[in-house]
Amino acid sequence: MKLENRFKKAASAARKREEAGKRKRPEIPDGLLKKCNACKSVIVAEDVKKGQYICPKCRHYFRMDAFERLALITDDGSFEQWDMHLVTKNPLDYKGYEEKIAFLKENTGLDEAVLTGKASIGGIETAIGVCDSRFIMASMGEVVGEKITRMIERAQSERLPIVLFACSGGARMQEGIVSLMQMVKTSAALKRYSDAGGFYVSVLTNPTTGGVTASFAMLGDVILAEPGALIGFAGPRVIEQTIGQKLPKGFQKSEFLLEHGFIDRIVEREEMRGLLYRILKMHPLDKDTAWDAENNEQKNGQKNEQQLKRQPERQSTGTLRQSPCTDAWERVQRSRRKDRPVASEYIERLFTNFIEFHGDRAFGDDPAIIGGVADFHGIPVTVIAQEKGMTTKENIARNFGMPSPEGYRKALRLMKQAEKFHRPVLCFVDTPGAYCGIEAEERGQGEAIAKNLYEMSGLGVPILSIIIGEGGSGGALALAVADEVWMLENAVYSILSPEGFASILWKDSKRAKEAACMMKLTANDLKDLHAAEKIVREPEHLTAENLEVVCRELEKQIAVFLDIQKKKQPEELAEERYQRFRRM
Amino acid sequence: MNTGMIRKILIANRGEIAVRIIRACREMGIASVAVYSEADRESLHTQLADEAICIGPAASADSYLSMERVLSAAITSGADAIHPGFGFLSENSKFAALCEQCGLVFIGPKAEVIQKMGHKSQARNTMIQAGVPVIPGTTDPVYHAKDGLEEAGKIGYPVMIKAALGGGGKGMRVSDSPEEFERCFRTAQKEAQMAFGDGTMYLEHFVRHPRHIEFQILADMFGNVIHLGERDCSVQRNHQKLIEESPCAAISPKLRKAMGKAAVKAAKAVGYTNAGTVEFLLEKSGKFYFMEMNTRIQVEHPVTEWVTGLDLIKEQIRIASGLPLRIKQEDVCLTGHAIECRINAEDPKKNFRPSPGEITELHFPGGKGIRIDSAIYSGYTVPAFYDSMLAKLIVHADTREEAIAKMRSALGEVIIDGIETNLNYQYEILGHPDYCSGEIDIEFIEKM
Repeated sequence: MKLENRFKKAASAARKREEAGKRKRPEIPDGLLKKCNACKSVIVAEDVKKGQYICPKCRHYFRMDAFERLALITDDGSFEQWDMHLVTKNPLDYKGYEEKIAFLKENTGLDEAVLTGKASIGGIETAIGVCDSRFIMASMGEVVGEKITRMIERAQSERLPIVLFACSGGARMQEGIVSLMQMVKTSAALKRYSDAGGFYVSVLTNPTTGGVTASFAMLGDVILAEPGALIGFAGPRVIEQTIGQKLPKGFQKSEFLLEHGFIDRIVEREEMRGLLYRILKMHPLDKDTAWDAENNEQKNGQKNEQQLKRQPERQSTGTLRQSPCTDAWERVQRSRRKDRPVASEYIERLFTNFIEFHGDRAFGDDPAIIGGVADFHGIPVTVIAQEKGMTTKENIARNFGMPSPEGYRKALRLMKQAEKFHRPVLCFVDTPGAYCGIEAEERGQGEAIAKNLYEMSGLGVPILSIIIGEGGSGGALALAVADEVWMLENAVYSILSPEGFASILWKDSKRAKEAACMMKLTANDLKDLHAAEKIVREPEHLTAENLEVVCRELEKQIAVFLDIQKKKQPEELAEERYQRFRRM
Repeated sequence: MNTGMIRKILIANRGEIAVRIIRACREMGIASVAVYSEADRESLHTQLADEAICIGPAASADSYLSMERVLSAAITSGADAIHPGFGFLSENSKFAALCEQCGLVFIGPKAEVIQKMGHKSQARNTMIQAGVPVIPGTTDPVYHAKDGLEEAGKIGYPVMIKAALGGGGKGMRVSDSPEEFERCFRTAQKEAQMAFGDGTMYLEHFVRHPRHIEFQILADMFGNVIHLGERDCSVQRNHQKLIEESPCAAISPKLRKAMGKAAVKAAKAVGYTNAGTVEFLLEKSGKFYFMEMNTRIQVEHPVTEWVTGLDLIKEQIRIASGLPLRIKQEDVCLTGHAIECRINAEDPKKNFRPSPGEITELHFPGGKGIRIDSAIYSGYTVPAFYDSMLAKLIVHADTREEAIAKMRSALGEVIIDGIETNLNYQYEILGHPDYCSGEIDIEFIEKM
């Protein structure tokens, strides 16, 4: 049965409506509802505000004004504003510009497109700047440039870290060439700040483009971005018009930049404050604080309790004995076992608070190498590791632990950062070798490895490399120019895979077993050759289940190593490292 | 009837309750606006209303539960008021507040009242303060059997001992007397210790074999509150009511007066307006305890309508228009006996799983004392997205016995082909000796 138009309706409905027209009609007050531009849903504005300006339907990020951002990130009432009331001289005498500024001041409660000042995040004092897109798209005129520069200079003199939330359309057209110069002014101030040991976190929000991307936004020691933010130099429309092509989906979005190695992490808004706190805490601005484990440990009470609890366990399980003599080929096979723990499993057990940083800032982010900062016994350390996958799928994603040039460049970037912030570097080596392929050569695999050997040899902080599985040739060496190299009992370290060795010398890769036995690639061999300092015992069949035993031993040994190395001056460390290899 | 400011109502609901409200509007000369999801294009409420607005796809979250869409529809259609029905947005205090902000009349209580009553422990505290009986229990944790014994005496036996972290019946014991209390307490605590690693316990009076009794109340904006007697909703399966009736066979006029007074007190304590329901657990002894208040019209409101002669939807609209109640408590008298059976699209043979689909043939009974509230018709397809209730069959007769006979007769006459229903299941319940004798409590279906 079809019901359409079968029922008699109230004929008076239309008339009633007219009559009622004289009275005040119900209406949706301004600002009660909001439309999401991404999913087109209409949303209750209050929900958007309560939900940190994220669309409850599709998780699209709404723009936040500077005051809202400060409230979200900083401790209540801790913000002290700097350098208010700077005024532009209107360098182009652009008609209507001053009126426009006056209007925006009135309407936004801001004095310019950036708020700068000092605030605390979880009790850690920091200089902070927040751009506000309501003010001429947060474009950088002389006042914005000046405020940011003054903030950087003051942060330097007050020994404060800097957190800067960028969002901008770029340079400010109304100020012409004067605006362009702000790019240099801010960048130059950051250079001085950085050389003085300053720590700068740049947070990119939607949109960060033009002259801001090409200056202070991209110069962070750590660069974070909100998901889905447009970040680029030239705007997508301009590029499209210029090249006459449609741009791919996701082009110039945060995720695109992460993939291309330009940002360290994408951070959800809900996690931003917590992560900033953790990052700031790991970057004290002087060496003494960085090394002051006691002081740091007090702040880290929880972890210490955990460590204390672990101690009895350590004693009861720490009875690893040397396995009966096993031949080299057997070791090779053990080092390649599918269930042999991968680097991240060591990291999880040895450190707390590991924060991974991505990208080489030039081309890409190599998943075969992971790196970042972490806590070891209350001391911030830099951890870099070659990471194999635990499943075939993961292995494909991580290229079976075979790094590309961008992986080595990321590693070097993080080591340089470690040096700047006086952090020891701990490397975990586990690779069949550097990736062998066309793209790797195009991007300079050899150059990348060479650069690591070159720079690591002189790095002014302690470096420890632990070979946990396969130590394949130059690909392994690029993470093993260390003060000491340790090897797990069943790890191997060689000039080439036994298969490769046999194939080159005897033209027969099937003679790998024979090759393995003469290559001197086991931990014992390496120790005899003085290419490794320590052998770490392991259970006969090492898996994630019994890895804890090995890690407790490692933890003890690392603590001793750091204790000795931390007393040494940078020059001393470099000299000793030089001599270690000079002897070979 | 002059409803003043309300000339057009948007019904933010679907199914039989939307139809019920549209009919009331039509009788009152008020224009009606239906909202519907894409799955409800052919639904009766969509076709019956004076206007209908599609508010989104089938999923409730994107249509009937989307406050923004319902509000926009109300404003666009020029409605003065929104009737939320039951379910969906009916007890959403935020929605009520938004209506108010837009100048729309929300037909129901004020937003803050909905919120107060929706918050369980807050509602309990309000009731304690107002002198409405609640299930006695400890507010502080109990760790030792000796302390528990003292508390149990104050609470009154039987006493339920339960673990603070409890769940799945673990760490729970009922103690009937002081003699066995300490033993029960220790067993429960040990169990809790084993299961949850925590021996923190609470005590509560255990209401054995209670009936689910609820009182309908009406409150206007001038502080007048009356109750319209009770409904016995003890016939429940997994907390889903199946049969409701009024009056309750176990309630004497004296008890009705006492419970009704408590219900009115409860409503007054929170400044309640419009129609609402106060739920109690009724013990065999005649002791009763406040459970919660439903701040909306109920599915089973027709049984109250029949014994009181009132139209509750019309009363709701009148109250929302700012009119005072037309009757006083002494004018309310319950005449005869009314029973409601819920007819659901579900398959009792397959653990009552929903049975959506096309209704190929349909026949409903009629005659004196029989009422059908439904939104189905021959050829209608029951969508899979919503509640499975198809129809409410309500009968009225002079006595309970006659009402049961009438209901059995009426149920036996219903034909719904094409989908599975619980008709036969309901027919069986109506013939059950315990049901017929009125010996029911909330465990009746389980024991049946």
